[in-house]
Amino acid sequence: MPQAAERKALEKGLHKLNENMVTLAELAELSIRKAVDGLTRLDPEVAQEVFTLDQEVYGLQLEIERTCIDLLALHAPVARDLRTITTSLKITTDLDRIGRYGKDLSELTLQFRDRHIVERADVARIQEMADRTITMVDTAIEAFVHRNAESVRNIIEVDDAVDLLHDENFKDIVRRMTEGKLNVETGARYLLVNRYFERIADHAVNIGLRVVYMVTGDWLPRVRAADRAKRRDDGSAKPTP
Amino acid sequence: MAIKLSVESVSAWYGEKLAIQDITMDIEDRMVTAVIGPSGCGKSTLIRCLNRMHETIPKARVEGKVLLQGEDIYAASPVSVRRRIGMVFQKANPFPTMSIYDNVAAGLRLNGVRNRDELDKAVLGSLKQAALWDEVKDSLDESGASLSGGQQQRLCIARALAVKPEVLLMDEPCSALDPIATAKIEDLIFDLKKDFTLVVVTHNMQQAARVSETTAFMYLGKLIEVNNTRELFERPREALTESYITGRFG
Repeated sequence: MPQAAERKALEKGLHKLNENMVTLAELAELSIRKAVDGLTRLDPEVAQEVFTLDQEVYGLQLEIERTCIDLLALHAPVARDLRTITTSLKITTDLDRIGRYGKDLSELTLQFRDRHIVERADVARIQEMADRTITMVDTAIEAFVHRNAESVRNIIEVDDAVDLLHDENFKDIVRRMTEGKLNVETGARYLLVNRYFERIADHAVNIGLRVVYMVTGDWLPRVRAADRAKRRDDGSAKPTP
Repeated sequence: MAIKLSVESVSAWYGEKLAIQDITMDIEDRMVTAVIGPSGCGKSTLIRCLNRMHETIPKARVEGKVLLQGEDIYAASPVSVRRRIGMVFQKANPFPTMSIYDNVAAGLRLNGVRNRDELDKAVLGSLKQAALWDEVKDSLDESGASLSGGQQQRLCIARALAVKPEVLLMDEPCSALDPIATAKIEDLIFDLKKDFTLVVVTHNMQQAARVSETTAFMYLGKLIEVNNTRELFERPREALTESYITGRFG
């Protein structure tokens, strides 16, 4: 059984872990915000800043992993302590991936800029996808910071809207490429941008579900939108007892 | 899941002092149930009530019922109860003047078994079940006290198993052992649950998490929570359990 001194050491480690997690989350979110800013203004300097941020995110992720391994090995934590550490370990990967998508978006920014081919309407579409995705990331991170499970319980449903927008954009881009209204290389890059945002939203969902587990111990299953709709239909079809 | 032991509103006293209060819980057949809690919470008293050991202490008394497959153990003779519900103690206590063989055979002899073949078979079987046979097969005539601490504890387990109990109670069986001897006992607990119902009192929460399917947490003589072990250590129901297992008190 952990004695008072051991508890104190664990508390200290958990405190450090939380501080680093909050910083990592802020860096990852900043990376996306800057990447979007760079992309919509085609600003190469902002893109460079995102590359630097990506390095910081990666370095901090490694430090957090080491802290988690130390805490697990030295204190054999249980209950909420265990859930906090394992959740942190898992969501650093999501935050790192979010940071990496920021970097990927910035690489596309440089490629778009060289070709001067971005249209105003396309920027508007990117902005909408970006806004929704960033809101999701922000909500998930806030939930982690404030240990608020309720704010992310429905994050899968929020993600449905992003998935829908992703599908609409995809069809629109493909249609314009097919009709010859959009250069195929540019269109392909748009498809990537569209896909990156959709993936970032998925990582926000992962974070949200992990936060629910960390705070409450409940495992919320990831159920595809189509299956959820089917369940809802089945449920409503049943007569009430 | 079949219930082997039912504890119904059991309270126990040492003289005027109430040690455990109104404990009700079921113990599943051929499973390991761990009992955890801070020193003095009554966990040893609880398991001593499960085979009528508590009442052997002067001025100690028990109220409530303990049902072994539906039969109240307090309505049966203590000797027959202890034959069906064996116990292993914190400190290994082999009979010091007896050989390893005689230690294991002691319970059977007490029950009137004299046939040498039957005794040999029981000693061999019990020592094998207790994972001690390979280490002592060439020294069965040596004193039980000549063994290491971990071996002595396994000898005591073999002695308890020799009378073929249905339930084995273990009171801090590894607290005096090093990590290697502890690991052997834990492996043994894992093997034994195929044939026996085990109740293990332990101070070591990681041990409870490793060996048991169900964990009971006691505090100040009360049963605070009985839960699936994984659940109890991952998401305890009671705030008091969470505080104890995370080391916030105790």
